[in-house]
Amino acid sequence: MTAVLDRGLRAQAAAIAAGEVDPGDLLDAALARIEERNPALNAVVETFPERSREMLASAPAGPLRGVPVVIKDEWPLPWRAQRFGAAELMAPTAPGESGPYRALRDAGAVIVGVGNMHELGAGSTGNTSFYGPARNPWDTERCPGGSSSGPAASVAARLVAGAVGADGLGSVRFPAAYCGLTGLKPTFARSAMEGHHMAPITNLIVSGPLCADAADCRLLGSVLCGEELAAGDATGLRIGIVRDTVSEDVTPEVREACDAAIEALRGESGGEVREVSLPDLEAATLAAILIINSESMNGVTPERLNRLHPELSAVARGLFKYRMLLPAAATVQATRVRTLMRRRLAALFEDVDVIAWPTVPAPAPPLEQPMVELPSGNLGADQANVRGAALANLTGIPSISMPVGLSGEGLPIALQLQAAWGRDELLLDAAEALERANGRRWVESLPPLAQASPTEV
Amino acid sequence: MEGAAPADEFIPAGLASLGIEADEVDLAVMGAVHQMLWPAVLELLALDTEGLEPERCPDLSRAPQ
Repeated sequence: MTAVLDRGLRAQAAAIAAGEVDPGDLLDAALARIEERNPALNAVVETFPERSREMLASAPAGPLRGVPVVIKDEWPLPWRAQRFGAAELMAPTAPGESGPYRALRDAGAVIVGVGNMHELGAGSTGNTSFYGPARNPWDTERCPGGSSSGPAASVAARLVAGAVGADGLGSVRFPAAYCGLTGLKPTFARSAMEGHHMAPITNLIVSGPLCADAADCRLLGSVLCGEELAAGDATGLRIGIVRDTVSEDVTPEVREACDAAIEALRGESGGEVREVSLPDLEAATLAAILIINSESMNGVTPERLNRLHPELSAVARGLFKYRMLLPAAATVQATRVRTLMRRRLAALFEDVDVIAWPTVPAPAPPLEQPMVELPSGNLGADQANVRGAALANLTGIPSISMPVGLSGEGLPIALQLQAAWGRDELLLDAAEALERANGRRWVESLPPLAQASPTEV
Repeated sequence: MEGAAPADEFIPAGLASLGIEADEVDLAVMGAVHQMLWPAVLELLALDTEGLEPERCPDLSRAPQ
């Protein structure tokens, strides 16, 4: 029998609700599995068994009662301030009840650990962190994706069945793509963000679920959004494709897998594929970068930059200082580009239901040298990845990444769908339709590290 | 469109004007970022948005009005 711990989020919740498994045993098994598998991954940076048992002891009869989950090092918990994967943050932090913590607690979930993340959320690879890099369960010499690196690696390695990440510039979708998971970036402001040190000022960052499949993302996403992301119907889905860098400058394997997935989704939904135009995507990408750069400088002064923590990475130190030199006019122009793209998207979503393109242009690169080889040449993974992710954060629309294949090296390939504001449910419906179309082959694929299962419950 | 402004002029001058200290590693990182970002910044500034009516206090959770 498959260990309960290896099942998905909703199956674990159902097994507990049916009395098939004792949630205390499941918690112990999750802690044991973290002890067993985490040394190879560095996905979980802290566990707190007594706190987890306290959460379980007082867990209400919610939809996730007794189910172990991981939360990214991006929100405070009542017993722990977030570190944001860094030696120091520019904003003050303290332990407390964050929005995602409350949402999980009120749903009956048990936070079993804190997930590693790319330092300060400023990278798509997860190869830089105060805690050391997290590793990809599909190949531990590869990047797990960032910045929600630990949450993704935790779910992919089946330490837990669900994790909470954050997405300010692709940070749920990149690790979902690299680790073969489904990851939802909800519509801006729809999911819990309270307690995040940038919550009062950000126009881009949202919390989002990382799970094996879309139905589990629906469950955890509903908890984070505080409302049911009701299942619907993707029949007759109008799929827009954009012939631009985001879909053209990708590896042949990625292009082939994503084209096949789009065709499978069209067939399953009985819909259609339309080529659509979305100019100025490069400007939109830079606009999102400039806006999040300015948000990250909240409260930063020249004097503060002269006493940065010596354990901040060289890249973080240099970036902080460089951001002080960016012209204000460029950030103002970025907000104008945001308006431009929001209006274009509003018009575009009159004609199509979703826009589809690869989540990332190439599978997970090596941790030591995160470069990707694309038709246009070798490019840093961050520079390449952000091109496909920034639009959703800039404009506020929801987006989902789902696995659609494996590369010749056995690494996950992912497709991204984006929809109009508030149509998060449609993205989940479409992802489920695609799972049906491919017989759930990719959402049920396990990395080698997750296949051996001595931790039975 | 012109290329990146020379990092060895722009960056030290900018840092000095703000009183920000930087060592060789900081300067190397900033130079690399500048090389990558600055041409795109110039292109963004050159983008014609003259006729674009701004969105006042946009609600990013909804479609624009």
